[in-house]
Amino acid sequence: MRRPNHPRTPRKNGMNAFPLKASTAVLSLLVGAGCAHAPPKELADARTAYKQAADGMAARENPAQLHVAHNALGVAEQSLEQDGDSEHTRDLAYIALRTAQRAEVEANTMSNQKELARLEADKKQSDGRELKSLRTQVDVQQQQLSTSEAGRRESEQRATQMSADLARIATVKQEARGVVITLSGEVLFASGKAELLPAAQAKLNEVASALTQQNPSATIVVEGHTDRRGSEALNLDLSARRAEAVRTYLTAHGVPSERIRAEGFGFSRPLGDNKTAEGRANNRRVEIVVNRQGERPGG
Amino acid sequence: MRKTLLFMIGLGATGCAHHPAPTEQVATSLSAVRGAEEAGANDVPEAALHVKLAQEQLDLAKKLMEDEYNARAEDKALRANQDAELALAIARQSASRRELDKFASSEPASGGERPATPPAGGMTP
Repeated sequence: MRRPNHPRTPRKNGMNAFPLKASTAVLSLLVGAGCAHAPPKELADARTAYKQAADGMAARENPAQLHVAHNALGVAEQSLEQDGDSEHTRDLAYIALRTAQRAEVEANTMSNQKELARLEADKKQSDGRELKSLRTQVDVQQQQLSTSEAGRRESEQRATQMSADLARIATVKQEARGVVITLSGEVLFASGKAELLPAAQAKLNEVASALTQQNPSATIVVEGHTDRRGSEALNLDLSARRAEAVRTYLTAHGVPSERIRAEGFGFSRPLGDNKTAEGRANNRRVEIVVNRQGERPGG
Repeated sequence: MRKTLLFMIGLGATGCAHHPAPTEQVATSLSAVRGAEEAGANDVPEAALHVKLAQEQLDLAKKLMEDEYNARAEDKALRANQDAELALAIARQSASRRELDKFASSEPASGGERPATPPAGGMTP
């Protein structure tokens, strides 16, 4: 409001504010019982506007301005009574009309502002709930991811550690059929024998230790291989017995028996040239193939 | 009789002279008109109408003041002030309604607990 409202007073008596009871009485008299002066159109409009404002939301939202409008109307009514339908009375009625209209317009504005504030508060509350729900979901997903990631990292670390451990005592390669740990036959067995040498046991202890730390669902195949000296049947038998000896040792040292089996291949899968000592040494070997879950070891 | 007539004419000629010139009221009303214009009243047709009415009445008040009809000038200045204040109120109402509409259009329809209240507005012409 830019300035205080000072409804113009009837010029003759110079009243500053028209008493409420008096104005109501004057209104009643004028409207109900007729009067000496017919009201000008401006005053009729002012009465209507005031009634509309008082019956509308101005009474609730903007009672102060409605009170000003009431006083302004009373002053105009009094002027009519004293001055008749003069220019001054019409001016006062015009002012009363605008004052009442303003009371109603301002009440509408207040109502809109309240509604907007309510909607914004509702939205804020709703956004807060949604945000909280989203945060919870994110937290759960992060937790799951973290658990999964931790499991994956642990598995990778175990595999890396196993490879590092085994690399010290054997050759470790990643092939299509799985991780292949190759132990030299010279280290494990005496020539033509299938009994493990004492020195071999230390190495196999490390192999057993590494295998027990592996994925518990992985399957293991112990493969025996020989060089080409001697008959095929003899070598086949020897390679099978050597593979079995290793399997037995490993199961005795913690590798679950249901996960491991032994197989002899004789000299059917040479790595080196059987005509040279070095080639034959490479062919005399035991391979331990560790397969991932669900995969059958290659033949 | 002649003396009486001259006295009456004299009174009529200086009838408004004793009422002080409503310069302050005119200035206040002018300021109210500017305030309404600054609030964007001219962009709202209903408010712009009241700005125009206020300006017309201010012009009339100034003219009456020049002719020393000070009491009448004051009434017109007061009318101008009320029209300017009403224009400002209408401009603000329009802005509040726009904000409400804007908010409603930016929000998806929701099955909230309370139905949205239609914006308040409109006025007896």
